[in-house]
Amino acid sequence: MSYTTFSQTKNDQLKEPMFFGQPVNVARYDQQKHEIFEKLIERQLSFFWRPEEVDVSKDRIDYQQLSDHEKHIFISNLKYQTLLDSIQGRSPNVAFLPLVSLPEVETWIETWSFSETIHSRSYTHIIRNIVNDPAEVFDDIVANEEILKRAKDIAGYYDNLINATQQLHQFGEGTHVINGETIVVSQRAVKKKLYLAMVSVNVLEAVRFYVSFACSFAFAERELMEGNAKIIKLIARDEALHLTSTQHILNLMADGKDDPEMQEISIECFQETQQIFIDAAQQEKEWAEYLFKDGSMIGLNKDILCDYVEYITNTRMAAVGLPMAFEVQSNPLPWINAWLVSDNVQVAPQESEISSYLVGQINAEINHADIGTFVL
Amino acid sequence: MSISLATNSGNYQISDQDSSLLDTLERTGHQIEYQCRQGYCGACRTTLTSGSVTYTTEPLAAVAPGSILPCCCKANSDITLAVIATITVAA
Repeated sequence: MSYTTFSQTKNDQLKEPMFFGQPVNVARYDQQKHEIFEKLIERQLSFFWRPEEVDVSKDRIDYQQLSDHEKHIFISNLKYQTLLDSIQGRSPNVAFLPLVSLPEVETWIETWSFSETIHSRSYTHIIRNIVNDPAEVFDDIVANEEILKRAKDIAGYYDNLINATQQLHQFGEGTHVINGETIVVSQRAVKKKLYLAMVSVNVLEAVRFYVSFACSFAFAERELMEGNAKIIKLIARDEALHLTSTQHILNLMADGKDDPEMQEISIECFQETQQIFIDAAQQEKEWAEYLFKDGSMIGLNKDILCDYVEYITNTRMAAVGLPMAFEVQSNPLPWINAWLVSDNVQVAPQESEISSYLVGQINAEINHADIGTFVL
Repeated sequence: MSISLATNSGNYQISDQDSSLLDTLERTGHQIEYQCRQGYCGACRTTLTSGSVTYTTEPLAAVAPGSILPCCCKANSDITLAVIATITVAA
């Protein structure tokens, strides 16, 4: 199987699996195998926002007044978020698009990735505002050992999949000798890598991101860095949708109706899937240790954040049908919901301010009684 | 006819003024996780022990059989959910 941008073989797209079928030819949305992706696309488009809409100028003053260890927490957290979105802004496209075979899934992946690029641009918007030389912050992302340690793990599953996909497309299934090295290429092995990469993405967006959100909102809870919190709130709204999408993809894979072989793989990977969640939780706890190495802040310390890591990991595991890995039962940061809630984020002015939009409306519902007295 | 909600912490009346089951749960001291309150994030996912619900907004988040998203549904009849109240509220 090799990739083609427009397959000239006529096929019934409704019979293709999500991945590893015939590459998508016509981008048509009049029919859908999995309608959920069309709904996710529409929702994501309705969320469109730009970082410049949020005023972060007051954050600069707040930042100057933070103590050194608080500055370390804030900036390190922002660096980590920048890393996560740098990966998410490109990897779903590079890794998943060459394998996708349904137009609605293909467009969802593109829409999803695009929204991550907005997140990346918003970190520049924030960093530019609070420090004189943004380069110092950005340059450290590829120099800081604590960040690199995690980057390796997150990018690893993507890179494994991308390499395996390239081999499959270039050489096809079988045993090949490449540069004197013998490699065995099998589609099933690539499928397994796709499944694991999807789990890792779900963990990234459903666990890792939320741990970083908790840190951002902890400042805002003290009325500090509120511009940043407004942006994170918009990012959190997008991420909620993204994690829903990867949960759907994983559930569709496990379900077996889309691709029976994928179901086998998901059963086979049960242990490994759990381990990806548990390892990520462990890494997030180590990160918490690094964040608070010089001291805690009001409302958040290493132990509370570690409890939150366990709590959020439990709920995300349950959502994809895995048994919970940790003891913790209730949310140690109940105030986070008030910051995460997204039904009160900014709406377009014509929806909230210009009342004529509503005043001018006409009731278009007519029933028989309304025209009962008419005589022709 | 009033509908009642049973949880692991007791029995409660569902009011007509509750716009969703999540409202009822919060009013009665159940701190349910939430984020979007519109059915797309899945944060409020709760186990339904008995009864049935009708969604006011069709949820985008995955809902497995036996669980519900209380943020965007209402109870059809008496309902039992596997949740615990964390705050005691006068009935």
